[in-house]
Amino acid sequence: MVSIQIRGLVKRFGSVVALNQLDIDIASGELFFLLGPSGCGKTTLLRSIAGFHLPEEGEILFDGDDVSQVPPHKRETAMMFQSYALWPHLNVFKNVAFGLEERRVKKAEIKERVEEALAMVKMDGLGNRKINQLSGGQQQRVALARALVVRPRCLMLDEPLSNLDAKLRIEMRTEIRRICKEFGLTAIYVTHDQKEALSIADRLAVLDGGNIAQVGTPEEVYRHPRTALVAGFIGETNLVDGQVAFQSGDDIYVKTAIGELVGRPSDPDWTPQPDEQVTVSVRPECLSIDISPPAQNAIAGRLTESTYLGEVAHYSLSVEGHEDPIHLSELNPRRVIRDTGETLYATAKPEDVVLLPPR
Amino acid sequence: MNKGLATTIYGITIAFFALFFVYPIWHTVKEAFVTPEGSITFAYIAELFKNPIYVEGLINSFYMGLLTTLLCLLIALPLALMANHWDFKGKEILNSLILVPLILPPFVGALGIRQILGQAGVFNAFLIDLGLMDANAPYDWLGEGQLLGVVLMNALHLYPIAYLNISAALANVDPAMEEAAENLGCHGLRRLFRITLPMIMPGVFAGATIIFIWSFTELGVPLIFDFSRVTSVQIFHGIKDLSGNPFPYALVVVMLVATVFFYLIGKWLFGRDIGASSGRAATGRVLKPASPMANLLCVSSFVLVTGLAILPHIGVTLLSVSEQWYGTILPQHWTNQHYLDALGHPLTLNSIGNSLKYASLATGVNVILGVAIAYVVVRTKLPGRQFLDAMAMLPLAVPGLVLAFGYLAMTREGQPFDFLILGENPILILVIAYAVRRLPYVVRSAAAGFQQTSVTLEEAAQNLGCPPLKALTKVTLPLIAANLIAGGLLAFSFAMLEVSDSLILAEQQQYFPITKAIYALVTSLGNGPHLASALGVWAMAFLAITIVGAGVILGKKLGALFRV
Repeated sequence: MVSIQIRGLVKRFGSVVALNQLDIDIASGELFFLLGPSGCGKTTLLRSIAGFHLPEEGEILFDGDDVSQVPPHKRETAMMFQSYALWPHLNVFKNVAFGLEERRVKKAEIKERVEEALAMVKMDGLGNRKINQLSGGQQQRVALARALVVRPRCLMLDEPLSNLDAKLRIEMRTEIRRICKEFGLTAIYVTHDQKEALSIADRLAVLDGGNIAQVGTPEEVYRHPRTALVAGFIGETNLVDGQVAFQSGDDIYVKTAIGELVGRPSDPDWTPQPDEQVTVSVRPECLSIDISPPAQNAIAGRLTESTYLGEVAHYSLSVEGHEDPIHLSELNPRRVIRDTGETLYATAKPEDVVLLPPR
Repeated sequence: MNKGLATTIYGITIAFFALFFVYPIWHTVKEAFVTPEGSITFAYIAELFKNPIYVEGLINSFYMGLLTTLLCLLIALPLALMANHWDFKGKEILNSLILVPLILPPFVGALGIRQILGQAGVFNAFLIDLGLMDANAPYDWLGEGQLLGVVLMNALHLYPIAYLNISAALANVDPAMEEAAENLGCHGLRRLFRITLPMIMPGVFAGATIIFIWSFTELGVPLIFDFSRVTSVQIFHGIKDLSGNPFPYALVVVMLVATVFFYLIGKWLFGRDIGASSGRAATGRVLKPASPMANLLCVSSFVLVTGLAILPHIGVTLLSVSEQWYGTILPQHWTNQHYLDALGHPLTLNSIGNSLKYASLATGVNVILGVAIAYVVVRTKLPGRQFLDAMAMLPLAVPGLVLAFGYLAMTREGQPFDFLILGENPILILVIAYAVRRLPYVVRSAAAGFQQTSVTLEEAAQNLGCPPLKALTKVTLPLIAANLIAGGLLAFSFAMLEVSDSLILAEQQQYFPITKAIYALVTSLGNGPHLASALGVWAMAFLAITIVGAGVILGKKLGALFRV
């Protein structure tokens, strides 16, 4: 399998800069995710790596060789398209066999490998079906088999599960990870579904306006987002702007409109100085609820909404001096507070209060 | 729409088709199999195939259809692929101009082709000037039988149909289908043959079918070339002694059967629906900006094809202003006398008036029927509406000559529809004939309009208190006006240029439409061909004004006019 380095990649469409000086390293055999809001450039990056876009500047290295000017049919990547792009004039077997025929593989071997690939995606015995006789989930498996059967140097998945229902999506994402790991594939996976990324990625990159906002493992990115955008995009969070008051040991005290908050910077190499502007991020599940004021990180507000979901209860607090409501969720709630209008206190441990550069 | 009204529309349109489509065809078929004494016979058909002249006519007709179709595909396919691949300079305008020949009258153009490719024509004069040909032994390009000239003129007239169909099919292909092939190592021409062509085959076939049926039974062009060894012309000449002669009817039946036969073979070979359009396109097609070389290739190809297709009509225009034009590149003497003569000639002004009258009435019938049928098909759940839809498309598959013959037979003296000929005035039957033949274009464009206009817009109007019919006229019809104008305009142009019905059904001089007047002038002695050219130019000018006028109304999207 191939390792991929991207160096200073720039892609423009007219005056729009789609990719702005990107650098990414993807290790051999890694399942790497590209995430971001729509229009962030994730699909453009994927298509550039596959060769469908030629970059204006920068390099794309496969195992150290620059392939940025190599046409797509010579890159030996295999892409699974969002629309699947299965050819309607060929049956299932012929669709999967196509890439092998292009590689001039012998007939007998083609038959063997196609059947193996179909079995791997649990589509064995359906080789004679026409594409329009397949359900969405079956089409998705055929598209995956078609990409896998050529043993690509890099597997590319462009929102492969977006056309499936929720249950099938969970089943298939586990399946994709299993297959990638079994064959040690380098795979790049584009999605806007953060759950998909958090659940199966080795590492992920969050893109924003053609720039890399953050690269890291799912835990790193979720627990230590580097920007307010990443914090808000991966998971839910409460963002509050403030100004650093003082430092005490690891803890940094921040003055905000909702009171004094104690937290730690997301980047261990960064120590915000007194009077510096920061944005504070607290995830709803890090906040706990109390009816009497806690000693630290006390956020007082009026309850405006409470939602009981069984395993979890969601609350919204309206806090004076802060426009957005503060959201918090309580796991395994024993008693749900339903008296809207009541004044409650939310609190969090300092290690769960994340300090970010100002947004 | 309430069910009663929908059913009424359904009933009226079915009755219309039964009377003016099924009945005339049946009538023709009957004449071919029934003796004057009333017994059934196959002798007429059998006799045809024993007569070498008729057999040769059928073979030539087949060649005329096949060669025209192949030539059209040869012209249109590369152009459509180029336009689908590159973004080149002036594409929008070239894309529209390439379609213009479809509305230039081909049998008028045939006059021009004779002038250009004839023995004393422009092309030979050009070669002689260059010293490439002996002035004493000029080559006759049109050759014996003149099939080449007929095929060339047909192809230069009909290739836009192939271009439109192929372009539409290409636009429906999800670009990801091609990218997937590229991604798996399949590139360039290989990709074209393995992926793109198989997927657009149904579109290619749809275009090819219309072209084949059209050219297989084409009457006007071979008639002007005086090429009488094709079935269509033999049928036409057979009318002169119609009453006693069953052979024209038998020929018509053979032609109809052959058309259906070729259609089915083609459908079986190429036209199978592969469901290519069911794909959900996720990525829009991004056209590559053309490199300087590609730019040159695209622009010159488009200009060359358009130029070639317009050339015959330029020839006609020159012919109409020339006093003498023989063996030279350009006419030796210029004159406007033909136009003056044409204006004074009893045939011309009358025929222009007649054609305008017939064509506008037919277009009116088309728009009313077309909207009604499209509405029932798209917006109601009436059982059998698909049947109505298929029925409305059938006139595309039946040769004009066959229908014209049917109309002739059913309105003869003593027949039940004799009353449609008012005295000797064929206006009613001609309007019906024109309308039936062009109805598919109007139905398709109206149906497309209804499909693109969400029914919720109409429902919103009803919700606010507007009765259903009023909601239709106040909300939906204005929204699909562009579609209706486009379809109506196409129907109007084709009606103005109609040959088979016009030549066969208009028998008295004062009721001649333009096409028959031109034919009468071409075959008359003296300055007839010049007068015919002048009249042809008048006709083209009228059409040009109509199309440009509509283009102005519709905005700059001229190409939308031709989307059928």
